[in-house]
This record gives sequence, structure tokens and C-alpha cells, in this order.
Amino acid sequence: MGQITIFYILAFLATACSLLVISSKNPVTSAIYLVCDLFILAGIYASLQAEFVAAIQIIVYTGAVVVLFVFVIMLLNLAPNEQSSLGLKLPDIGFTLLTVLSFLIVTVLLVNEQSSVSGGALGPPEAIAQLGGNTRAVGMTLFTKFVWPFELASFLILAAIIGAVHIAKKDPKPADKAYGNLKASNREKAIYGSP
Amino acid sequence: MGLNTPALAYDAFLVQLLSSLALFAIIAVLCLQIPPIMVWVERRGPAMMQRRKGPNRVGLFQWRFYGLLQSLADAIKLIWKEEVVPTGANKPFYHIAPIFAVFPAFMIACAIPWGADITVFGHQIPLSVIHLDVGFLFIFAISSLAVYAVTLAGWASNNKYALLGSLRASAQMISYEIPLGLSLIPIVLIFGTLDLNQIVLAQGAFPWQWGIIKAPVSFIIFLVCMFAETNRAPFDLAEGESEIIAGFHTEFTSTKFAAFFLAEYVSMFVLSCLAATVFFGGWQAPFVPHDFLVKTFAGFEWVASLIGAGVLFLKAAFFMWLYVWVRWTLPRFRYDQLMGLGWKFMIPLGLANIFVTTLVCAFIYFK
Amino acid sequence: MVPLDHYLVLAMILFCIGTLGIVLRRNIIMVMMSIELLLNAINLVFVSASTYNQNLDGQVMVFFVITVAACEAAIGLAMVIALFRKYGTIDTQFLRTLRG
Repeated sequence: MGQITIFYILAFLATACSLLVISSKNPVTSAIYLVCDLFILAGIYASLQAEFVAAIQIIVYTGAVVVLFVFVIMLLNLAPNEQSSLGLKLPDIGFTLLTVLSFLIVTVLLVNEQSSVSGGALGPPEAIAQLGGNTRAVGMTLFTKFVWPFELASFLILAAIIGAVHIAKKDPKPADKAYGNLKASNREKAIYGSP
Repeated sequence: MGLNTPALAYDAFLVQLLSSLALFAIIAVLCLQIPPIMVWVERRGPAMMQRRKGPNRVGLFQWRFYGLLQSLADAIKLIWKEEVVPTGANKPFYHIAPIFAVFPAFMIACAIPWGADITVFGHQIPLSVIHLDVGFLFIFAISSLAVYAVTLAGWASNNKYALLGSLRASAQMISYEIPLGLSLIPIVLIFGTLDLNQIVLAQGAFPWQWGIIKAPVSFIIFLVCMFAETNRAPFDLAEGESEIIAGFHTEFTSTKFAAFFLAEYVSMFVLSCLAATVFFGGWQAPFVPHDFLVKTFAGFEWVASLIGAGVLFLKAAFFMWLYVWVRWTLPRFRYDQLMGLGWKFMIPLGLANIFVTTLVCAFIYFK
Repeated sequence: MVPLDHYLVLAMILFCIGTLGIVLRRNIIMVMMSIELLLNAINLVFVSASTYNQNLDGQVMVFFVITVAACEAAIGLAMVIALFRKYGTIDTQFLRTLRG
């Protein structure tokens, strides 16, 4: 009884936070609700005995990804008219209804399909306990069965770093290459413009 | 924790819950005492170094207590000050930011093991509020939230110096979180567990068994990152008074300012505790094995645990003094120097450290 | 114990909300946050299925999904900055150069 109550509370909070994420007017508010949402989901993962994933979720998502979002929102410092909220127009309402309906249908189908699986035992798997906890077990799987995907993922991250730096860099002006030859005072003027 | 343990008996659960709450209350009260005492240390310490008196006026009747009551007077002043909210401030975030600052510091204090398990009414109770198998990951997860306080505080107060300070501070905290994490991986490799209490037990009571001997490079990286994470001198660019007034908390007054103050000192204390736990044997008294203490106080094992808590506190106090010492010794870094140190030196060093430690561990394992 | 259905329905609701965010919001950053919601809904399915089938592959997949999400966010936000620099807006209504 305890577990299902906790699940319902967490599920309700997750849904509410997600709705607030997409409906807030100010992107920073959305980002903070996204943080709450990710936290609640981490709680759900922890209740599913996936402590490692829960911890990684908080470290990577709330500690890095959403911070990046907040940074970009603050750097762009959008004018109020660009912080558009849910502007519902007729095609939008159509879209909304269509999406909700299609997902409802899929959900009903899915639940019917899965009802044979439901009620499966959630007992602590002895294998994991023998290996010495969830983290160690996930590590074992990651570095044996999934070692090549893991390497590929590291390669992907490297590519993303370089790509992000290249894309976000300012377009160098032709004169930029000559900065090295200028005197220090002129160099600042050339880079930052004369006051 | 409650979710993952197989159904505890009701009374066991109750004892666990009540003792956790009591422990949390003790730790919270203890943490609230840190800022006044540290403020005193931070005034009298440099005064001692620079051969001057430091604050020594405030006292009670004829007793001066070496100026200790000055901190109390300051605290009372801070609380009674008028609260000013800037006109252009984003109100909700302006009010939430100090809470975001205080919350992670106290949460991490809850995960630190303060002593050996004690027995309460026949139930074994770990001496940390949140006892987790993944204590390390929990600490990283929670400490990564501290960035939001800084970012939101600077942005919400609608002041360009505050925004600059907050951008500096958050970039610094994110950058130094990486080497901080990298520096602790060798410890996990050596002791083979993510549970902080297990790490303390694995270290033993003798200094040559401690983490600092087994992973000295890790300790150096951790120490530097500790200063950078808490935005303390020589890395206190976020508050660079001479350039950007007071950084992200420029516009905060009264209790909100006090909250940022509290958060800074509590996170210093918590990181000191973590350093002591991971590198200096935690609550184990040097040269006095825990078993010996338990035998000495047979029937009163909780005394041994209490001594453990005291020992950890003393070890943390050393690091707190180090903070003050360094602050009054080293000049402030320039921002590009700070980033260069983090990305070009600390991270490669951390990676090399992990690589070497892995090789040594593998060598010992396969031999 | 909580039946698996409950987790799947919750994931579906979150996915639905994320899709709505992508469709309805005009701000690219908001669209990207909605994408994060979608990825989280999928992660929830992975984790719950992994626990119920007592197979850790699902949790490892979540690890990969989080990795890819981090890369996506980094690249995407870099593109948002580049867009803002070039056009001065990140409203999808005004970014219609390719529409001819």
C-alpha cells in the first residue's frame, strides 16, 4: 500500500510539473519546473531500485543539461514579446486534440497488451544483491556486454563538444587573423570596437 | 532509504525514523553554529597573522570572550535589518534563490557518517541521517544543485554586476565539479565501494591506511576544487569586491543575505567533513582503533561513537582553519587563470590519476 | 506492488505532454525542453521494464539515452545561439527561410 501511494503522489507531481514546463510564460520558470520534474522522476527510478540511474539523472540532467538551458536563456535575454506562452489558435487546438487522442488510443492498446505482464514480482533480484548493489551490477553490464556502445558514446560526446564550440563561436572577421601583429592597445580596439 | 529496504518491522522503522529526525536536528543546530564561529575565526585569525587586535569590544558586562560575541551582535543586526527588494527583480526567483542555496548544503551534511553505528533500543542505527549505498553519487547529485542558487540569485536581482558575478560563479562551479568528481574516482576504485561509512571503515585508524597516503594526487585535486566549489579565496572571483561589488548576492539584504552567508559556511564545513571522511579516516581517531574504544567503554558503546563524531569535527575544523589561512595568504586569481587551471591542468591530471590508479589496482588484483 | 501498467501510463502522459510542448510552443528553447520531457518519458519505460523483467540492459540503455540527450542539448543550444546571432530571434514563426 505504501509503495503505490508514493507512486501516485510522485506521478501526480510529475504530470503537474510537466504541464507547467510547457505552459509557463517565462523560459526560466519552465527550466526550474523541468528541474523539479527530473527530480521527481529520479525519485520514481529510486523506488524502482535503480539507484544508479536516479543519481546519474540528477547529476547529468539537473546538474549540467538544465543549467546549460538556463545559461542560454539568460545570455539571450529575450524581449518579453519573444517569451511567447501557449498561444492557442484554431490549428493548435486541432493538433492538441489529435495528439491527445492518438496517445490515448496507443495507451489503451498498450495497457491491454501489457496486462498479462502486470503484477510481476518486484522482489530484489538475488543476482544484483550478489554482485554487490545496483551500481556495481550496472557497471558490470556496461563494461562487458555494452563496452562498444560505451566507447561509441564517448566518441559522440567528443564530437558534440567540438561541434558545439564550432557552432557557437562568433564568425571571425577577416581582420581577426591580423590581431597578433597589432599593438596591444590597437588590438583591444580592433576586437571590442573603439568606444 | 525506506523504499529499498525489505519491509522493516514497525517498531524498528519507528526507531529508525525518530533517531534520524533527532540526528537531523542535532546536525542542523550544529551547522547553524558554524557561521558565527567562523566569522570570529576569520576576524581574529588574520588579526593574529597581521599583529593587530581584531574585534574585541562586544562583551557581556566585564567579560569580553575574545570578541566572540561580535558575531552574535552581527547576526542580530542582520536579522533586524530592513529587507529591500529591487524594483526590477523577478520576485519568485528572488525569494527562492536563498532557499536553493541553503538546501543542498544541509542535505549533504545529512549524508556524512558521523560515527560508528549505534544501538538504540536493540536496533542498529547508522550515525548518518541519510544512509545510502550510493552515498558518493548522492553527494554529487545534491551538490550540483548549488549552481541554481547562484544563477537564479544573480539573474533575478536585475543588476548587471550581480548577473556577471553569477555567470562567473556558476561557470566556475560547473568547471570545478568535473575535477572534483574525477579526484574521488580513485578512492572508489581503491576501496571498492560508494558507501561513505564503508570507506571510513576500510581506512582503519592508522594514518598510513588513510586515503591521503593511498591517493595523494586525488587529495591535491580535491583540495583545490574544494576552494573553487565554495567560491573561497583564492578563487573568490564571484565576489570579487574590487570589480563587481559582491557578485551574485549584491542585491540581497537582511535574512536573505544571511541565508547566503549560512550556505557558504555550511558548504565549506560539509566539504571539510567530506575531505576528512575520504582522505583522513573520517571518524576514526588516529592510532586508536575503534574496537579498542568499544572494548574500553564496554556497555557504553555510544561513547565510542560520540568520540568518533568529535574526532571528525576536529579534522573538519583543521580544514576550516585552512580555508582562513589560505584566504589571508594567497592573492585572488584572474578569471582566465582560474579557468585555465581547471580545464588545462586539473582535469588532465585527474584523468591521468584515474588511469594510473586503475593500472595499479588491476596489477594488485591480478597478481 | 505497483503494476507495470501504472508506469507505462505515466510515461505515456509525459510523452503526450512533451509532444504538445513541441507542437504548441514557438520558442526553440521551449521546444528543446519538451524534447527532454520526451526522453524522460522513454527513460521511465526503460527503467520500469528493466526492473520488472529483472534485466539490467534497460538501465544501461537509460545511461546511453542520457548521454545522447546531453550531446543533443549542447549542440542544440549552440545552434540556438548561432540562430539568435544571425536572425535576432528564436521564435519559430519568424524562422522560415527554408519555406520558400
